[in-house]
Amino acid sequence: MVLLIRLAWRNIRRNTRRTILAGLAIGVGLASLIFTDALMIGMNESMVRTATDTFLGHGQIHAQDFRANMEIERTIVDLEAVVASLKREEGLRHFALRTQAFAMLTSPANVGAVALFGIDAAGEMGVSKIDEAIVQGAYLQAGDRRMLIGSNLAQTLEVEPGDRVVVTVAQAESGELAQEMFRIGGVFHFNVREMDGRMAFIDLGRAQELLGLEGRVHQIALHFDAMERDMHFWQRYSQAGNEALGWRQLIPELDAVLGMSQYSMAFMELILFGVVALSVMNTLFMSFYERLFEFGVLRAMGTRPARLAALVLLEAAGLSLVSVLIGVALGAAFTGWVAVTGIDYRGIEVGGVTFRELIYPVLSARQFIVFPLQVFIFALIAGVYPAVYAARLMPAAAMRESF
Amino acid sequence: MPKSAEVIKVEGLAKVYRSGEVEVNALQGVDLGIERGEFTAIAGPSGSGKSTLLNIMGGLDAPSSGRVLLAGRPISEMSGNELSDFRRDHIGFIFQSYNLIPVLTARENIEYIMMLQGVPQQERRARVAAILAEVGLQGMEERKPVQLSGGQQQRVAVARAMVSQPDIILADEPTANLDSATGAELLDTMRDLNQKSGMTFVFSTHDRMIMERPRRLVELRDGRIDRDEVRD
Repeated sequence: MVLLIRLAWRNIRRNTRRTILAGLAIGVGLASLIFTDALMIGMNESMVRTATDTFLGHGQIHAQDFRANMEIERTIVDLEAVVASLKREEGLRHFALRTQAFAMLTSPANVGAVALFGIDAAGEMGVSKIDEAIVQGAYLQAGDRRMLIGSNLAQTLEVEPGDRVVVTVAQAESGELAQEMFRIGGVFHFNVREMDGRMAFIDLGRAQELLGLEGRVHQIALHFDAMERDMHFWQRYSQAGNEALGWRQLIPELDAVLGMSQYSMAFMELILFGVVALSVMNTLFMSFYERLFEFGVLRAMGTRPARLAALVLLEAAGLSLVSVLIGVALGAAFTGWVAVTGIDYRGIEVGGVTFRELIYPVLSARQFIVFPLQVFIFALIAGVYPAVYAARLMPAAAMRESF
Repeated sequence: MPKSAEVIKVEGLAKVYRSGEVEVNALQGVDLGIERGEFTAIAGPSGSGKSTLLNIMGGLDAPSSGRVLLAGRPISEMSGNELSDFRRDHIGFIFQSYNLIPVLTARENIEYIMMLQGVPQQERRARVAAILAEVGLQGMEERKPVQLSGGQQQRVAVARAMVSQPDIILADEPTANLDSATGAELLDTMRDLNQKSGMTFVFSTHDRMIMERPRRLVELRDGRIDRDEVRD
């Protein structure tokens, strides 16, 4: 075996340029895979963070069917007990109470339909980033009579902080229309079309009064220490007429995009492994045909077919080891560099989510253990064909064909 | 290998090569017996079937028809591994273009078969030193083939073929790539080793001068034995 390893290693070093070129071809493929996977993780994390931290939260509690028909009467059942229970939850960093209703905003210049949210200004700061998105005016304060609207809506209504708008809503139970005048307190810009054009926020107490809800709310937004919670949590709050949903259920299109990105990665892996297989086979066969006479001589000297196959497989292993080392080095260097500088996708919308921050690739153990191992094993498998070919060689034919 | 008068026996050997539509009859019904310890030349012009006969005799190629018996055993009945082991333990090959493994040193080339046989390192080293001294290449153990002249490479090839003390040495035009003086010198070395060790030597040549040296001369023409003579 020692002799075979020595022979294989010397054969790999024999044509250094070819070995380096093949190693680079496979190594660059592996480095691309490492980078793409790290970028995907970074993008996915950023998308989820953008989607959940901006306003949605990591999860929400509503009355059953509220999300489907948005009926104002469908408020959270037994709110006090739910709130008391949430206060005892470990790992729940913040939660915020909200009302949600369709409303018509009228300014002297125009009219706009919006989703009007009543929010607890202080509590909301632990769940969403409305306060950070204010680009004109100021954020709400408790008991405020002012309103926050999105930048696109402000353009449509041709208003700015200090201007007045009239809100028209349908009240709970009676269905009567109610109107109230608000001053624009601030304009926010999330760089998300839906939010900047169709959302408005007022103080929670004012909203409850306007909608005739008397202390009731439609939504509790949740913010956990970790983004995901186990099934028991959601089951515990999906009782007695309420439903509790995580962000995956709240924005299934994002979940689908994340799922698709996994398929994309699998497809990328498949392409890479195809490249690896062809590169290894090509290199081994080139080297193989160059040395046909030698293989014939080795067989003539009494080398068993299986030993000759082992020699070819050892060469495949050596070549893939060199390639994997090159790939890991290139992948770590490039991905590490981009993980520091970041990639600017800000303003680009994917799966209904607009990136609001630089994307930083996320390095993981899988990229540097599993991927190289997969490439190594795949290269070995690719070496089986030339190895079997070598084992079946008739010594005289090998020596004759090499002339 | 058991004692047998004819260490190699060839019966009705034929070999047909096909190249597209064209068939080439390299051997046409060759019968030949080689006795233990013989020093035999197989002569003939290029294309007469010398290399094909040697290859089939050594189990490097399969005949189209006929059979080869090595020490009384038909090689067609041996499995791939058995044939490999048989070659490793009983046959030494010397080829026209030396065919040393370029990435191995002279010592490693010579040691290769002994390593396959599982000979201990100390014994291997001693045998390599002895055989290199015998072929006149002392001190060249660690040289790679490219650092040796053609004659020196062929001497390493001879040493490699003989070091495991096989019963038969098959040499395919061993002097073809050497100048006449070096070729004659190599033949003398082979003859000397044959006489000392009693190994059976069968080699092919088309060189008239070389043909005159062995005791037995088998001449091939168009794949048939044209002449088989033993000289005193």
